[in-house]
Amino acid sequence: MFERTPEVTSSDHFKCTDYLFEPAVASSDVKMNTIIEARGLTKVYPPSTRAVNQVSFSVSEGEIFGFLGPNGAGKTTTIKMLTTLASITDGRCNVGGYDVRTQQDGVRRNIGLVPQDAAVDGDLTGMENLVLSARLYKVPDEEIKRKADELIGLVGLDGAAGRLTRTYSGGMRKRLELIVGLIHEPKVLFLDEPTLGLDIQTRTAMWDYIKGINRDRKVTIFMTTHYLEEADSLCGRVAIIDHGRIKALDSPNALKSSLGRDILEVELPEGPDISAKFSSMEGVTEVSRKGSVYSLRMENSGKSLQEISVGLWELGLEVKDVRLTRSSLDQVFLNVTGRLIRDEVVDNADSLIAMARAERARN
Amino acid sequence: MMSETKELMVRDLKKWFRSPAWLFASLVQPVLWLVLFGNAFNPTSMIPSFPGSGAIKTQILQSTFGGAPNYITFLTAGMLCFLVVTWAMWAGGPLVTDRSLGYLNKLLVAPISRTAITFSLLLSSILKGVVLSAILLVVALILPGGLVFASGFGVANLLGIFTALILLSVGFLWLFMMLSVRARSFETLAAIGSTLGLPLLFASSALLPTASMPGWLSTIAGINPISKAADVIRYLIVQGALSGGVLSTVTFDLVYLLSFAAVCTLLGIYASNRGLRME
Repeated sequence: MFERTPEVTSSDHFKCTDYLFEPAVASSDVKMNTIIEARGLTKVYPPSTRAVNQVSFSVSEGEIFGFLGPNGAGKTTTIKMLTTLASITDGRCNVGGYDVRTQQDGVRRNIGLVPQDAAVDGDLTGMENLVLSARLYKVPDEEIKRKADELIGLVGLDGAAGRLTRTYSGGMRKRLELIVGLIHEPKVLFLDEPTLGLDIQTRTAMWDYIKGINRDRKVTIFMTTHYLEEADSLCGRVAIIDHGRIKALDSPNALKSSLGRDILEVELPEGPDISAKFSSMEGVTEVSRKGSVYSLRMENSGKSLQEISVGLWELGLEVKDVRLTRSSLDQVFLNVTGRLIRDEVVDNADSLIAMARAERARN
Repeated sequence: MMSETKELMVRDLKKWFRSPAWLFASLVQPVLWLVLFGNAFNPTSMIPSFPGSGAIKTQILQSTFGGAPNYITFLTAGMLCFLVVTWAMWAGGPLVTDRSLGYLNKLLVAPISRTAITFSLLLSSILKGVVLSAILLVVALILPGGLVFASGFGVANLLGIFTALILLSVGFLWLFMMLSVRARSFETLAAIGSTLGLPLLFASSALLPTASMPGWLSTIAGINPISKAADVIRYLIVQGALSGGVLSTVTFDLVYLLSFAAVCTLLGIYASNRGLRME
């Protein structure tokens, strides 16, 4: 009857995040915990395409931070600026303690990137891809084998490490790309649309791997996605980005309770209108009625539900049916951008990549 | 920079070995060229047999082919040059593919020198060129009526041949690398490479002596680095020990090739680093 409340990932990361905004904490502590700091980040592609416009945010160590938005919102451009692939038109940005504009080498040594498209070479085996990446990042030779084996085990690619990656399925390839980005133990891992084009089972499996990596290896993750469920299930905090601007930024639950709505539908036997009674209950912000079905918009559904059930019991009313619609990021997105994320036309490049992946998976 | 250049070069060589069609084509192509060009363009075979025709053929070879004992001996030098230039044209191919697949971004976020990305492809192409040139030389020697070295031919001549080939290849490698870092699709590279390949070959002394060409063509062939390299190699094969006028011609041509390689390298490093800079 009630929908499962989405699991909140690693609650301790919230604490880190929270004290960013807690004035009681000394400013030096805040500095130590902030691993990505962007202020007024702007990217203009000539002649005048403002792909990213005055974007500011900070990410704390250990967090999974997500950029949620439709295709073309500026997510990939932001990742490109943060990872030194694209120049910054305006604003400043610090990643892992290095200025992205002036200390590119420092940034590069401390980050890993899993780009949207091919991040591994199809003509090399899984192991060779890992070793090549390790060598490029100057991981000491004697540690490479151990680290590679450990990561291969972590994502369950043990049997496939010796195979050419062009024979991998889409899901296997994505898992390999994930660990290739981790071999040099970066402080921050950037994931650009980590499950694009994967089927739903493979996608949920990827979520588990990403959560595991974040939890066990203490890697901060900055990711982009246009899947609402993905942002909801993975991210500690989400920035909703549209047309190059951040429209809202908070934890998925906070976004849902402030910008979404939980609606409880209560069906009662035929009788007089008791809307006023519902309105007076604590936590109910809006009541509408259709025949004997009342729709109650609630502020904080956990607490409100208790109030409402007590209220109904006190009224001595027999309840025929109840139905709870939890607030979703879908509604949040609609609320802040004025349209549904699913209405977006899938970008050509995206659908081509998805098709290519599906093709590879079939062969 | 050296270690990452080596790693990326090994990657490129692995890819070459693992693509059976590509490997087969690269091994068979030089042999096909030598056999087919060697028979189709052979001017001495155009003379019908009659009493005394042998002497005329010898005289043609003597006067127009710089004393080469047969056409294949003349042609081998040209084919060696064509081989390394062809390899140079496609050396940037993996870069174009990496860019279109997205793998290039993976390399660009790594803390490696941008030059390592182009250098690795350059070195791997030179290595392939040297190995395939050696195979071509062996095949030319085995062919019936094939390559004959002059009596004074020694290790120094062999070193000279490969020096000329490497200088020629470095020049063309950087020229085409400048294109490859800009090209957004393999088709661009293929179109330019296939348009320039044969004209570069024909407008040189690789197949036939420039003396038999019309004036304008022989002028173009005269400045074509392929001609310089082909001439150097030809002298080293046909004359054995060099001396006097030939030695100074060879020295001049080698300096010409060295300057060609140096200028292209400078331009190439500059242009390819620009091509790989941030969006």
